[in-house]
Amino acid sequence: MEITEQNIRSSAPLDSGDLRLGEIPLQQTVELVHIDLPADQAEPLLERGVLPGCRICPVRSSPSGDPIISVDGSLLALRRETADCLCVRLLTALQDVS
Amino acid sequence: MDEFYREGEVNPSSSILLEGPGDAPLVAMIGPPNSGKTTLFNRLTGLRQKVANYPGVTVEKHVGRAHLPGDEFVDLVDLPGVHGFSARSLDEQITRDVLEGKIEGLRAPDALVLIVDSTRIESQLMLVEPVLELEIPTLLVLNMWDELEERGGYLDDKVLGEQLGVEITRTNARSGLGVQEVQGFLASVSPQQVTAPERNLTNVPQGVALPMMDAFTARRQHVRRVVEAAGFGPPRPSGASERLDAIALHKLWGPLLFLAVVIMVFQSIFTWAVPLMDGVELLIASSGEWIAATLADSWFRSLLIDGVWAGVGSVIVFLPQILILFLFLGVLEDSGYMARAAVIADRMMYRVGLQGRAFLPLLSGYACAIPAILAARTVDDERDRIATIFVTPFMTCSARLPVYALLIAAFIPQRPIVGPFFGQQAAVLLGLYGLGIVAAVGTAFLLKRTLLKASPGSFLMELPPYRIPSFRSIGLRLIDRSKIFLRRAGTIIFAVTLVLWVLTQFPRTEAGPPPIDDSALGQMGQVIEPVIEPLGYDWRIGVGLLTSLAAREVIVGSLGTIYGVEDDSEDSIVLQEALQRDLTVGSAIGLLVFFVFALQCMSTVAVMRRETAGWKWPLLQFTYMLTLAYVGAFIAVRIF
Repeated sequence: MEITEQNIRSSAPLDSGDLRLGEIPLQQTVELVHIDLPADQAEPLLERGVLPGCRICPVRSSPSGDPIISVDGSLLALRRETADCLCVRLLTALQDVS
Repeated sequence: MDEFYREGEVNPSSSILLEGPGDAPLVAMIGPPNSGKTTLFNRLTGLRQKVANYPGVTVEKHVGRAHLPGDEFVDLVDLPGVHGFSARSLDEQITRDVLEGKIEGLRAPDALVLIVDSTRIESQLMLVEPVLELEIPTLLVLNMWDELEERGGYLDDKVLGEQLGVEITRTNARSGLGVQEVQGFLASVSPQQVTAPERNLTNVPQGVALPMMDAFTARRQHVRRVVEAAGFGPPRPSGASERLDAIALHKLWGPLLFLAVVIMVFQSIFTWAVPLMDGVELLIASSGEWIAATLADSWFRSLLIDGVWAGVGSVIVFLPQILILFLFLGVLEDSGYMARAAVIADRMMYRVGLQGRAFLPLLSGYACAIPAILAARTVDDERDRIATIFVTPFMTCSARLPVYALLIAAFIPQRPIVGPFFGQQAAVLLGLYGLGIVAAVGTAFLLKRTLLKASPGSFLMELPPYRIPSFRSIGLRLIDRSKIFLRRAGTIIFAVTLVLWVLTQFPRTEAGPPPIDDSALGQMGQVIEPVIEPLGYDWRIGVGLLTSLAAREVIVGSLGTIYGVEDDSEDSIVLQEALQRDLTVGSAIGLLVFFVFALQCMSTVAVMRRETAGWKWPLLQFTYMLTLAYVGAFIAVRIF
């Protein structure tokens, strides 16, 4: 089932996508497509390397259910409201291998 | 160079640092938070360092002198840890201003040491490009190199240096690996003879018409290319950190551990500190007695013993408590747990309009509001920061304790409520703490819906790997704290007790000092009596309240003087009896409520003014808290 979904995704044009980081299950690595936040709120993310094209993996969730993500070997804690503003797409099987 | 110290906490006559302009090169140390920057700074400077404040703002400035082999030395500035230069937080603003040479009285640095955590090199290098654009000689320090290797990571640092065009060295600040190489770089720095060209440091390169997102993407791609060329193999995730996080951020154990840590910090402040505080008190009392016995009876002895020793001594007693708090905060921060605690606290804080980063300042507020307000500078959203420091004085600081202790002992009978350990007195004390929290939460809630209204900000917290704290580093910080605290006690409290003492001595009668009712202080008290009368206080309590505006605990000493009690520590029973005569239970509870709410601390007001760069917030805070205190006391008198 997973593969089918990934296939659909990879064949779709690289648009903003309707998947949000908040919906991604733990340990599933995704690629950031677009940050749907005003510049002043996006900047701290950008400074820490959370940029379109980067790989994000939600590794844990905090006791209150907010996501903790791994980006470039750093752990970042976000609010789920922020995670819901990060548009992501699943990696194709090929990209996943690389 | 005097200006450098103008608003500082440090004695300007100290000869250790920055003796004159240009006599040693100035090197700034910068890096992201938790990259081990301060540990390296401590390695290089040891005890030859100071904490001062930057002029105009209360962001602390750590300066030190590094002695190098061959009798050479350079001056080092340890800048706050930052991720970028958008100047969102005070820390970022300061870092930017220092690097651009725009800090009044501090010349632009001659060289930079940029420290990054090798295990997280990709995100850490985002800081490199804007720093290198400054074209100041820079050493890139790959810290925690041994950890990178231990966890199976790889990086060709030579290629990395070539690619970035910067001198590079591997270190492990804690074990001392590579410190010699850093010293070698420092020895090569020469002071710039000419004034540095205008420098501009921003996240987005100057003169490039790129939208912010593209500028970052370009920088990110550059970093990736460089890191790939250096053959970077990322280290395995730290297994120990993951296992610890499985507990610290667990749905059930996480909040329980959080609670246990908070309780332990409290327990340490209120029970473990007591023997130490008793020791300090004994030392002050016996030294006072010794001086009293040595000096002849004169106005000078009265001033020294009744004024200075009693006043300043009553504050120095709190030093052990404050040091224990800072020891805990240091361990929690350096171990990496504080970041997890902030994550756990965030949801709770968010509901009342604050954010997770406010947890540390609010916790510090239980010892003293002043370091707490300084700690709030890590709150990166300006509105959140103002809201945090606005409510911080509601946290029951240790200066309220002597007042609570006196009034509770005098008016609340010791009856057990639950078992032998939890009595009525403890319940009242707990209630006062609770009332403070309710006031803080309510005020934050109100502020974020009115004056500081904003769309919900974001919260972003980097969780560094867990590390064993360096006790050398924490020890040095405790020494800093002691100096700052003692200096404060030696200036502000000293001045207040001096003025008070003088006011009790005039107008002189033929027999010497006037009776307290006729003294200038007594007359002032009678002027304000109508204002406090509805609360059930006479002029004596009024004067006590007036003097407590300088610092809360002063009221204990003032009441002691006013009631003719010479030594409040020995005769506190007499003071209690005097209070029982003059106050009803209702007005005593009212007085307790007054102390929960009122901002009776001029140091806090002064720090607020500096931290908010104006009088608006401190005046509003003072008025608001005083109104709340008056109304609260008024209601309490009528209920009880």
